[in-house]
Amino acid sequence: MPALSRADTSLLGRWWWSLDRWTLIAIGVLIGFGYVMMLAASPAVAERIGQSRDVFILKQLGFLALAGGVVVTVSWLSPRGVRRLALLLGIIALALTALTLVAGVEIKGARRWIALPGLSVQPSEFLKPCFAVLTAWLLATRHRRPGFPGTLLACGALVPIALLLKAQPDIGMLTVVVAVFVAQLYLDGLNLFLVGLALAGMAGAGVGAFYLFPHVHSRVERFLHPAVGDNYQVITALQAFGHGGLLGRGPGEGSVKDILPDAHADFVFAVAGEEFGMVVCLLILGVFAFVVVRGLLRLRGEGDGFVVLAAGGLITSFGLQAFVNMASSLHLIPTKGMTLPFISYGGSSVLAVALGIGMLLALTRRRHHGDLA
Amino acid sequence: MPAQGAGAPRQGAVPRMEYVRVTAPDLARRAALATTHRRLRAAALCFLLLFAAVSLKLADATVLHPLQPRAPQIARLPPEEHDPTPGSILPVVANAALPHRLRQMIVDRNNQILAVSLPTAELYANPREMIDTAAAADQLKRAVPRLDAAMLRARLTSGRAFVYLARRLSPQEELAINDLGIPGLYFQPSEERHYPRGRLAAQVLGGVDVDERGVAGVERFFDRDLREAVEPLRLSLDIRVQTVVREELTAAMVQFHAIGACGIVMDVRTGEVLAMVSLPDYDANAFGATPAEARFNRAVTGMFEPGSTFKLQTAAMALDSGVAHIWDQFDAAQPIHIGRFTITDFQGKHRWLYLPEVLAYSSNLGAAHIALAVGAERQRAWLRQMGMFARLPIELPEAGLPIVPSAANWHEVATMTIGFGHGIAVSPLHVVRGVATLANGGLLISPTLLAQPALAEDEVARGQRIMQPATSDTLRRLMRLVVTAGYGQKADVPGYFVGGKTGTAEKVGAHGYKKHTNVSAFVSVFPMNAPRYAVYMMLDEPHGDASTGGFSTAGQVSAPAAGRVIARIGPMLGLLPQTADAAAIEAGLAIPLQPARGGGIAHALAPEHPPAHHAPMIAPAPARTADPRHDLRHDAQITAPVATALYLAPSDAAR
Repeated sequence: MPALSRADTSLLGRWWWSLDRWTLIAIGVLIGFGYVMMLAASPAVAERIGQSRDVFILKQLGFLALAGGVVVTVSWLSPRGVRRLALLLGIIALALTALTLVAGVEIKGARRWIALPGLSVQPSEFLKPCFAVLTAWLLATRHRRPGFPGTLLACGALVPIALLLKAQPDIGMLTVVVAVFVAQLYLDGLNLFLVGLALAGMAGAGVGAFYLFPHVHSRVERFLHPAVGDNYQVITALQAFGHGGLLGRGPGEGSVKDILPDAHADFVFAVAGEEFGMVVCLLILGVFAFVVVRGLLRLRGEGDGFVVLAAGGLITSFGLQAFVNMASSLHLIPTKGMTLPFISYGGSSVLAVALGIGMLLALTRRRHHGDLA
Repeated sequence: MPAQGAGAPRQGAVPRMEYVRVTAPDLARRAALATTHRRLRAAALCFLLLFAAVSLKLADATVLHPLQPRAPQIARLPPEEHDPTPGSILPVVANAALPHRLRQMIVDRNNQILAVSLPTAELYANPREMIDTAAAADQLKRAVPRLDAAMLRARLTSGRAFVYLARRLSPQEELAINDLGIPGLYFQPSEERHYPRGRLAAQVLGGVDVDERGVAGVERFFDRDLREAVEPLRLSLDIRVQTVVREELTAAMVQFHAIGACGIVMDVRTGEVLAMVSLPDYDANAFGATPAEARFNRAVTGMFEPGSTFKLQTAAMALDSGVAHIWDQFDAAQPIHIGRFTITDFQGKHRWLYLPEVLAYSSNLGAAHIALAVGAERQRAWLRQMGMFARLPIELPEAGLPIVPSAANWHEVATMTIGFGHGIAVSPLHVVRGVATLANGGLLISPTLLAQPALAEDEVARGQRIMQPATSDTLRRLMRLVVTAGYGQKADVPGYFVGGKTGTAEKVGAHGYKKHTNVSAFVSVFPMNAPRYAVYMMLDEPHGDASTGGFSTAGQVSAPAAGRVIARIGPMLGLLPQTADAAAIEAGLAIPLQPARGGGIAHALAPEHPPAHHAPMIAPAPARTADPRHDLRHDAQITAPVATALYLAPSDAAR
C-alpha cells in the first residue's frame, strides 16, 4: 500500500488518518493468531466434524478473510450509520433468535443455532453488539432530550432478549449481555447504589440459575469441587498448559489437544498453551488487554455520549468474552462455552465479533466536533 | 460565567460584562461526561485486574505448577531422545520401537524345536494420509501378490483414518512394501508361531490364537512363561519316540479300522512323558481350523474303562495288603450272577485259577474274587493312593477328572467289576502312571511333560513309596508272565523282557455296553528286569481282521503294536537288547502259572498269613483253612441284593 499522505483528503485518506490504527493492527494480529491456531487445532476438529482437513482449513481461511473484510467495511460507517446498521441487524438477529426456539438445531441440549448451508449461525452472537449500540443510543438520547425515557426503554428491550436467551437456554450469553448492559449504565453515570443493586441482582440471578438449570448447577459444582465430579475437560486443558510449559512443545507437536474436547473452540487457548507455551499465551492475552484497556481509556477524549457508551459497551463485550474464555480454560471460573474472539474456530462467532469491532472502529474514528453524520 | 472581555482597554475601562449562557442541562451533561470519564478509568482498571488474574493463573498452570498429562494419553509422542554416549557419532533414532519380544521356543528333551515364533509384521494404513489410494492398492498387490486386491481397494478407499490391511507379513514382504514409499502405511511388529513338526505332538503342544496366546496344551498351560521366559521351554518329549509311537499307532489304526488311538511312553522312574500321541490329530500350525474331534487328547482327557489292565492293581492291592497270597486260588469255574449282572470270563477256563493264572488268562471272575477279598474300603484307599480318583498333575489344561462311583454307590458289584476294570473310567495316562508305579519298585511317580534332571545314583525312582518293594517285584514277574504265557505274547521283543497287561473293555453306549465295540489297550513296561519305560498302546473301536482271527482284543491288536514300538525305541533310548544273558534274566523273572507240584513255594493262605488289619469282608470270613477253596468259594456265593444303579455310564462321556 503506497503511503498515504496526511494531506490526502480522499475518502481512503480520511478513513485511514481518522482511524484508530493501533486497534486495527491489534485485531490483525489476533486474526493472524486465529489462523495459526486453526492450523494447530484442525486435525482434531477435522476428525470430529467428519470433514477433510483441507476443506476445513479453506473454510476457516474464508471466514477469517471475511471477518477482516467486515471489520474494515463496517469501520467506514459514520456513527449514525452504525446506529442504523445496529437497529437493522438487531431486529433481524432478534427475530432469528426467536426462530431458534422453533426451527433451531439442537446441539448438546441447547437450541441456539440456525442451520444455513455451509455454516450454522448463532443469531444471539450478532444480537450482542447490536444491542450494545442500541442501548447506548437510548441512554444518550435521554441526555440530549430531557424527558426521553431512555433507561426504561433500554430495560424494556433487555427483557425480551433475556427471556429468549433463557429459553434457548444460553445462560452464558445472557450473562454477557446483561453484564454489558450494566456496564453501560455504569458508564452512563448511574447512581452507584443502583449499580450495586444491579450487580446484586445479577448475583441473585446467578444463584437462581444454579438451582434452576441442571447444566449450570453441575458446572459450578464441578468448579467448586474439582476432585469429585467429572472434570475431564478442564483437567485435560490444564494438562495441555502444563505440557506446554514456558515455550511450548512447538507447532504441531501438541498431543493433549487431540484428546481435548472442543479444542478448536472453547479450549483453543489450551492448544495455544500446549504448542506455543506461556510466552505466546501472554502475548495473546496482552493483545486483548491492549485493545480493551487502551480502548476504554481512549474514550475519555471523546465528547459524544452515544459514542462513549456504544464503544464502551462493545469493548466490554469483547473483553468479557475473551476473559471468560481464557479464564474458564484455565479453571479460573466455571466452564462457560464462549469463543475466544478471532482465535476460536467458527464462522458465525468470528463474523459477529468482526461486526462489533468494525462498529467500534467506526465509532472511534476522529471526527470534527459534533459530526455524527 | 462572567468573563473579562479580551482586548478591552484597561484604562477608563468601563467594566463590560460578557455573558456566556451556559444552560443547566449543559452543565449536567458536562458533569455526566466527567463521571463517565472517571468510570471509564475504573472500568479499564477492572479489566486490567481481570487480565492480570488470567496471567497469574496462566503462569501457574504452565510454569509454576504444571499439570503433566498422563503417559498413556501422549503415547503417540516420540520418546525423549536420550543419547546413551555423549559425543557419540551414531545418530539417535527417534521413535525407535522397543524390540518386539518373541514368544519362547518349545523344544523336546534333546532340544529339537517343536514350536518357534518368527518375527512378522502387520500392515495398517491411514488412507487419509495417502495421495492416491487406488494406486496404493495396486502397488501393494504387486509387491505382495497374496493380498486380495479387492479387499485392499475397498479398505483404502473407505475414507476412514485406520484400516487393517495384512497380518503376518514376512520380513521380505515388509521390505517390499516399505520400498514402495507410500505415505500412510504403517507396520506393527508381530510374530507367527510355527510348529515345524506339524502333527507331531499336536495335542501336547496345543496351539495359539491369532494374537499368539496359548489356547490349548502346554502353549496354554505355560502361556505366561512362554511370553516372559528367556529360556526355551524344554519338554520331556522325545520327538524320535513320539514319531515311532505315532507311526505304529497310525499303522494299527489303519489296519484295524479304529476310530481313534492313543499311545504313551513314560519313564517309569521319573514320570517324564517321552511320547504322547492321540489320533486323530491335527496340524498344530492350523489350530484354528481344527475340528474338536482332532483336538481331543485321548491320553489325558479321554476317560475310558481301563478293563483288564486294572487287574494288575487288583492283584497288587491284594498282595501288598496280604489279603491274598500268590498261590491262592480263585473261583473261575462258574459265572457270578449278581443283581441284573452276570460276570463271565472271555475264553474262560471254567475252573479254579491260581493268581498268576488269573492275570495270564485275564480272568474277570478271578479278579472279582480277589477284589472281594480285598474289600471295598481297601480297594478305594489303594486306588485313591494311586491317583485314580483325581486329576493328573500333568502340565496340560486338558487333564480330565476320572469318572468314579461315589462311596455310597461303591457296592459289592462295583468292587467286583472295578477289580477287573469296569465301572470306573480313567484316562490312559492314569493307567500308565499306575502300572509304572507297580513296576518301578513301588514309588508313585508324577507324570510330567517337562524334562527332569537325571536320577541320582542311589535313587530308584522319584516319588513317594506306596507299596512294598516285594509286591512290585512280584508284579513285574506277573506282568512278564502275561507276555510269556498269557494274552500279551505278541508284545514280546527278544532281549527287552517286555511285561504288560492287556485290557479290552466294551464301550458303553446309550443302553449299556456295546457288543463288539472295544477299547483295546495294552500297557507294558520294559525291560522287566530293570524297568525303565512304560509303553501304552490303545485302539478305539478296532475291528479284527484275518491276521487276528477276527478278534479285536487288545492281545491281538494293541500288543503287537506295543512290541513294535519297544523294538524301535529301545535302541534310541540307549537300551540294547540283552540277548547274551537272556536265559539267566528270564529265569530270574520267571514265575510259573501254577505252583510246582510238591515244590517248595508256599501255597494257600497259611494261618500265620492272615493280615493283622484284615478288613471286614462281605461275608463273615470263616477261619481260613489250608484249603482256600472253602472260604473263597463261600465268596462266590454272594447273592446279596444290590441296588440297580450300580453302574455309572463312563467312557463315552469322555468323547
